[in-house]
Amino acid sequence: MSGLDAASLAILGVVATLVSVLAWRRTRATTVDFFLAGRQVGMLTNAGAICGDYLSAASFLGVAAAVYASGVDGVWYATGFAAGFVPVLLFVAAPLRRLGSVSLPDFLAVRFGSDHVRLAAVVAVELVILSYLVPQAVGSGLTWELLVGEGIAGLSPYATGIVVSTVAVSGIVIIGGMRGTTWNQALQFGFLLAVVVWLAALLWAGGFSYPQAVEQASAAPLQAVVGDEVVEVVNRLDGGSATFGEPGARYGPVGQLALLVTLVLGTAGLPHVMNRYFTAASGAAARTTTVWVIGLAGSFYALAVMLGTAARVLVAERADEPWLADLTVDGVLRVPEHALLVLGRLLADTPGMAIVAAAAFAAMVSTIGGLLLAASASFGHDVVARILRPHGGPREPVRAGQAAVIVVSVVAAFLALIVEPSQLLAPFPSLIATMVTWAFALAGSALTPVVLLGIWWPDATARGAVAGVWTGGAVAVGALLVGLVTGADPSDGIGAVLLAPALVAAPISALTIVVVSRLDPAPGASVAVWTRMHGTAHERQMERLARVTLRDRR
Amino acid sequence: MGEPRPTSGSANHDGLDEFDAPAEVAASARTQRRIALAYGLLFAIGVFAAPALSLTLPWWSGARLAGGMSPGFVVAAGGLYAFFLALGVAAASLARSVEVRMLGTSDEEDPLP
Repeated sequence: MSGLDAASLAILGVVATLVSVLAWRRTRATTVDFFLAGRQVGMLTNAGAICGDYLSAASFLGVAAAVYASGVDGVWYATGFAAGFVPVLLFVAAPLRRLGSVSLPDFLAVRFGSDHVRLAAVVAVELVILSYLVPQAVGSGLTWELLVGEGIAGLSPYATGIVVSTVAVSGIVIIGGMRGTTWNQALQFGFLLAVVVWLAALLWAGGFSYPQAVEQASAAPLQAVVGDEVVEVVNRLDGGSATFGEPGARYGPVGQLALLVTLVLGTAGLPHVMNRYFTAASGAAARTTTVWVIGLAGSFYALAVMLGTAARVLVAERADEPWLADLTVDGVLRVPEHALLVLGRLLADTPGMAIVAAAAFAAMVSTIGGLLLAASASFGHDVVARILRPHGGPREPVRAGQAAVIVVSVVAAFLALIVEPSQLLAPFPSLIATMVTWAFALAGSALTPVVLLGIWWPDATARGAVAGVWTGGAVAVGALLVGLVTGADPSDGIGAVLLAPALVAAPISALTIVVVSRLDPAPGASVAVWTRMHGTAHERQMERLARVTLRDRR
Repeated sequence: MGEPRPTSGSANHDGLDEFDAPAEVAASARTQRRIALAYGLLFAIGVFAAPALSLTLPWWSGARLAGGMSPGFVVAAGGLYAFFLALGVAAASLARSVEVRMLGTSDEEDPLP
């Protein structure tokens, strides 16, 4: 590791720790303060924090990797990730905030008036969090392996990256709570956006032409490294050779549809992202925040796609440089996830790579922080404060949540350690993005249908909700397990549906909720809950108070 | 759309000066749902039309607008993000104006319809 690499990681760690300590000094050990930052996060800060939460290793390294490996077919990852916030804006953001809950399971429990719904949602949330945490940890391992190349205390470089990132983030979350995590996520997203803008500026300053790069990348058949050999990628649509600029390098028709549906539906069920909406000051603020998120995330993804394209061209052009020879075979990267890191070095030498690696760590750290906090809120508030010790003191849920952070991070690190990225790269060329898709599939199948129907269909009952969560979750997990065990082809046909199962599991879950609710003699949503969720009285009152306060001050 | 289950007392009065009448909220929620579904349909058409066109219309992937960029590439790599933002801004403004017009207009609590 060069001094510069060490410095970039050290600066990142020091800033994150300072922010957390600062937040800790302002955080009281209460549920609303620790888990929700006092519900007073500003719109732009929250938008930045949501982006920091959402833009994980899958977005920062994975999108450029997917574009590098599969051309225009890889672009659909970026499109799906960005598109996911449109349904959140249309259907979820404002009502979710207005019900005034602490976590996604808490929201569902209040809406359906049932702790059975709470427990079912907690199980689904913890599964989503674990399946989302593992690829982040894998990403930290891969980045450490490339950047540092050395292990600590006898661990391999890959294992060291996993251990260092999970230990550091657990500490940051335990110290800073939601306030510290929010500030860190907003800062880290600012850093990520600045890095992709900087790389784009360096490209343009060097005379880069995006249209010409696409033309150059599409001039020859698309190639990939399998083992130690370069092979031509087969076009899934016509059986010929795939090219960068034309569809078919990665997906057939069913594969593309399954991926898009999974990413679009999954976002509204991601607990770490949805929990952020409870920190907004009002439902209207939550909605405006989402518009900001769509704009910021769209800008980020558009640039990430361009950088993936640039990497395809520049790596091939400069593959004879000695440092790049180890990472490539005949001008093609062995690990597509290295695309952005390598591009950083091609554009700005060693400092460029160090800065991109620091940004990659920032992406992982901010997402891991959000995930751990969501796990903490689910356990501390939903399990301990609401079910196990409803009469306990105000500090109990916070302490339980802090303990949950440690347990979940240890389990995630263990799972990431037993994953062998090198074994999985052949069937899944952009591994991190693919693994994150599995978490989206689970969220979109188990949680999104019940969230949507709970918000917009007052006849949905608690039994319907429980049945929907279990059915959607079981179908998604079952499909993923069958797909992985049988080595299903993720690119098209039944294999694509098995490995991105929200296309089938979400409708089954929604249908289950409707059928069971229809058969259930129990009533649906109460007027009190419905009015709180869709009304604006509280917000108007706050606005009125603010106006009166301002007038009095004058 | 069904109606929410009646409960005794005011739904969101809470001793505040501002309150929402349940009937107003039910009507507003129905309107918001129609708006969300309409925009959702537009969103789905936009998102799924692009890959569908690449499978059915050779020009979509074969033509070149600039350099090697086909219409399909331009839409996927940039156009759709602008579309999402425009859709989001329009939907958020409409939802806000519906809330302002439909909620908080009653002088006293209305009974459920």
